[in-house]
Amino acid sequence: MAQKFIPTLTAGWWKRIPPFRLVLGLCPALAVTMSAENGLGMGLATAFVLILSNGAISTLRNVIPSKVRIASYIVIIATLVSIVEILMKAYFFPLAEQLGIYIPLIVVNCIVLGRAEGFASKNPPFISMVDGFSVGTGYAISLTLIGSIREILGAGTWFGNPVLGESFEPMAFLVTAPGAFVTIGTILALQNLYSRWRGEKFIQG
Amino acid sequence: MSDIVRMVVVLSLIAGFSSAALTVANIKLGPQIEKQTDLYVRGPALERLFKRPAEEVLGNKVIIHAVDQDIPVFFTKVDGVVSILAIEAVGKGGFGGDLKIMVGVDLNAGRMIGMEVVSHSETPGLGARIVEISFRKQWQGLPTDTPIALTTAGGTIDSISGASTTSGAAVRGTNDALVFVRDYKDEILKSISEL
Repeated sequence: MAQKFIPTLTAGWWKRIPPFRLVLGLCPALAVTMSAENGLGMGLATAFVLILSNGAISTLRNVIPSKVRIASYIVIIATLVSIVEILMKAYFFPLAEQLGIYIPLIVVNCIVLGRAEGFASKNPPFISMVDGFSVGTGYAISLTLIGSIREILGAGTWFGNPVLGESFEPMAFLVTAPGAFVTIGTILALQNLYSRWRGEKFIQG
Repeated sequence: MSDIVRMVVVLSLIAGFSSAALTVANIKLGPQIEKQTDLYVRGPALERLFKRPAEEVLGNKVIIHAVDQDIPVFFTKVDGVVSILAIEAVGKGGFGGDLKIMVGVDLNAGRMIGMEVVSHSETPGLGARIVEISFRKQWQGLPTDTPIALTTAGGTIDSISGASTTSGAAVRGTNDALVFVRDYKDEILKSISEL
């Protein structure tokens, strides 16, 4: 287990960083990254769900009959997402209003179900939670990065603070939906280019 | 057979445990969510209505149990006497669903001090113009003892052009609030004095 710990912990930050490497969870990545703050909030909410759902599913992996495993996973994930929604409404109300429907939609975020099926159902609880932490924080980093690029170039601010000065003419295109596709595509291309130059092996899943 | 039984039992147990967890979370955090909703959703409307920071008014809240619903009422006092009430009302039948409005009533003068929109889902550019002051200022100073009406119904409120449905909903909501104040005035004052 010890030799698995470090690779699992770091895999989510580069080798299988969502949504670029693990091409899952694209819907929220496109939809809520208008600003760095939204991206970070969404990423952290997903990370929270991912860590706990991986832990719970991994603990119950020998109890849940394989025929009803997906249904069981969805019930567990949906519960955790509802708890996140209640927590956000109670303590981060403006952010919860901004993210709106995308918080409940974490339930159908493929990353969560993907890690449950692909990792947590085959590994013990602790290492599964490490995987959840790694992939979850990787997702939060990606969303914050996408949000930062779109916010800085599209609105001239970062986390709501002006950074590019008065004379900067914001490219409003980037904060609209097509801008999200362009931003994600560009980052994906750059990452693939870098990996190819380094001669890295791609891993899927 | 035992396989099926096991599936049902496991799934039921997980579902039961999940609902228990959700119930606990809801009960524990319900009051906190209500507080946040007051601050961020009703706060701005109250701020404009009372012309003072929302934090000062939010504590002055009583909930009156009317026939079929609980109605939140906010108030301010002058020299220890309740002077202004803000009643939350639902304007039924807006174009995009019900409107939630806040009607300010000056008890001493017997007149309305204004109407504020708490939340709505009207068409941008048409019904959504209900939040503009040019429409809402028609409420200021109207007497509270007679129901209000749109000009098309012989009243004094000019409806927003192209959005008579929305305007009608606001008028209906206001009239509900006025009836509520008339019928429940003693109860409101009693709950305020008990605070």
